[in-house]
Amino acid sequence: MSLAIIDAREWQNVFDLRTGAKIVEESPLLGMVREVQARRPYPGDMDSSGNRWVSDTALDLMNRYDPSFVFLTYAQQFFSGRYSIQTEKEWGDAITDLYREVERFINLSGFTPVIVGTGDMTPFVDFIDVTQLKGLVLATHWSARYAGLHEPSSGDLKYLDAHSGIERIVHRDDFLRLFAESSGDRSRVPEYLLVAKEGYMFRTVGGAFRRVRRVPAQSFFIPVATEMGEVSTITGIRGLIDSGIGKRKIALIMVEGIGLRDFPWASQRCDNGREWFYHEPGDGQYLTISTGRHQLFDYPTGYKYFEEDAEKKEFPFSGYFRSVPEDTLAERYDVRSISVGNRSMFMHMATGTDISIECFARNLFNQGTMAVIHRMNKI
Amino acid sequence: MRCNYCEWRCELAGGDFGVCRMYIEDGGAIKERFPHSWSSCIPSRIESIPFYHVWPGSRSLVIGTCGCNFSCRYCSNGFVAKEDPGLVFDGMITLTPAELVRKARQMGCHNIVFNVNEPAMSFPTLVELAEVAGGAGIPMGCLTNAYTTEESTELLASIFSFFNVGLKGLSAGFNREYLGIPSAGPVLRNIRRLAATAHVEITTPVIELANDNELDEIARFIADVDPEIPWHVFRLLPEHEMKEARYPDIDAIDRALRSARKLLPYVYFHNFVGSDWVNTICPGCGATVIERFSLGCGGDRLHSFNCDGTVCPDCRREIRLHGVKVAWNAGEVRP
Repeated sequence: MSLAIIDAREWQNVFDLRTGAKIVEESPLLGMVREVQARRPYPGDMDSSGNRWVSDTALDLMNRYDPSFVFLTYAQQFFSGRYSIQTEKEWGDAITDLYREVERFINLSGFTPVIVGTGDMTPFVDFIDVTQLKGLVLATHWSARYAGLHEPSSGDLKYLDAHSGIERIVHRDDFLRLFAESSGDRSRVPEYLLVAKEGYMFRTVGGAFRRVRRVPAQSFFIPVATEMGEVSTITGIRGLIDSGIGKRKIALIMVEGIGLRDFPWASQRCDNGREWFYHEPGDGQYLTISTGRHQLFDYPTGYKYFEEDAEKKEFPFSGYFRSVPEDTLAERYDVRSISVGNRSMFMHMATGTDISIECFARNLFNQGTMAVIHRMNKI
Repeated sequence: MRCNYCEWRCELAGGDFGVCRMYIEDGGAIKERFPHSWSSCIPSRIESIPFYHVWPGSRSLVIGTCGCNFSCRYCSNGFVAKEDPGLVFDGMITLTPAELVRKARQMGCHNIVFNVNEPAMSFPTLVELAEVAGGAGIPMGCLTNAYTTEESTELLASIFSFFNVGLKGLSAGFNREYLGIPSAGPVLRNIRRLAATAHVEITTPVIELANDNELDEIARFIADVDPEIPWHVFRLLPEHEMKEARYPDIDAIDRALRSARKLLPYVYFHNFVGSDWVNTICPGCGATVIERFSLGCGGDRLHSFNCDGTVCPDCRREIRLHGVKVAWNAGEVRP
């Protein structure tokens, strides 16, 4: 059983990750994780110390668990860049701060880093208003480029075709064909995938309302900084890390909102998708890196997520995940592994590490932290 | 010319927009500045809004506009409610009432709930929406601060059939310092009025050392109106001007609610992940008749509904419910 420990600030509870049932359990490992959470309250997505929290929490956990693999995400600059009005200098300063924070972690930990930028950000240009269509358009508000279109009228398609912000309209069959080898439940893929030009994002019903200043930029390639070997595709990062596990201590470090343009380390250029498709920052990109295979169809952009939100949904702390994904990066490692991140609540699903600690925030509202212990048998 | 929608009764002559900045005087009438414009239009579980005693398990279309007539220092929706509506407007979506009702149907929503900001900011649009939604058999509810005039409270009662009223504090000092209003008098008056004809739940966000000393008095007020009114006590997540405030102590608030629980059968304490105080207990026999799961801010969900219709399956006592359980994907629309 995987345990979820919720720290809502000065109040902790332990749950079965799958059922959400409260659990009364004591063990040295559980106690250790709870103490780390109690010592490390999350400062908030927009707080300038958000990235420092990642390093400090990871180092605290590492001192007590002695892992050989660490998966980290630094995302504070992604949130502030997305929602704050920043000058180019302020954005540059945010990247400098990120660089210093990651370097601090590397120096203090002594781990071999593999640093991946999830893609640049670009100023928001305009909305593509799809609220007036006869059909239903759905998109996660974290996505700028993609939206799912359900049951469109011919007038809808004509309107979209003529819209200057639309790059292409992809029928589901063509999308499925592009990633024919990918697994996942294809029944969820909408009839059409709408693809926006850079800087645009879809104005949909079902979206959250916050003024967005920057959105993910076109990122057909992403940067990877590593001395462990050559890598040319996003799906190759997994093999690179697999090959080093057991030989050295490795830290896979994701830096959010940073791509080839702004990446402050010497890097290799990696394919981030295929043909017209590239991964935007988010759980699909993480799962692709973690499994070494493009992961697109289990929770595809624009699917009717709300239909699966019924009572007794399993994995209640894990957003729309309905199961723990298989064959993720650290799932089969014999060595100890941890993950820490401030991007979202999917680290415990995407990384496969023994222990994860992540911020528990929704739409920037800071609820505290969640730790997940997937296995206790390595101590 | 004065706007009579809320208790501020702002003078809107000369192009003024009033406290909420959402109305204007035009040709001898008070008009909305941004009719049919929505900041939110999103399907959600009704328990997450929160309504714990209304159509349990149903899918609601949560809507909101912008602007507010309070100045809560801790506002969690300040990015919509406290921003200048003129600046927020370009990010909003425009849907006529008929289009909005159509979207509700497309997304399988059983009801429509006005949330996010204060419905008094958008009265004319909501009157139109209620007419269309009513024709389609879609019930409507809202969250409100109930700082409306007596006349417009009647309007609220004609638009919505279920309410969650924010009763944030009683003392004039608290109301002035934390909410920016002279007194809670109109709110208390309007709770009595709405509870006389509609389903009402009440929410009180607790701020330690500011209004936690008023919990017993608030409970006595609710008991005097109708002891069966469900009361949601929120652990406040301080935002806006109070971002740096400490999070309220959960155990301390739980202890402070002990006497309230003797007066009121439906007291809930939540707005934090994993709350132990979100289930409905039968006041007759103590059976757990509705189980819920709390994911904190805007994340509560029904876990299991054990009532037999609207009564306890064990002792047959009536449980206060506005509507029966609705299957999540039923897509059904009942009046």
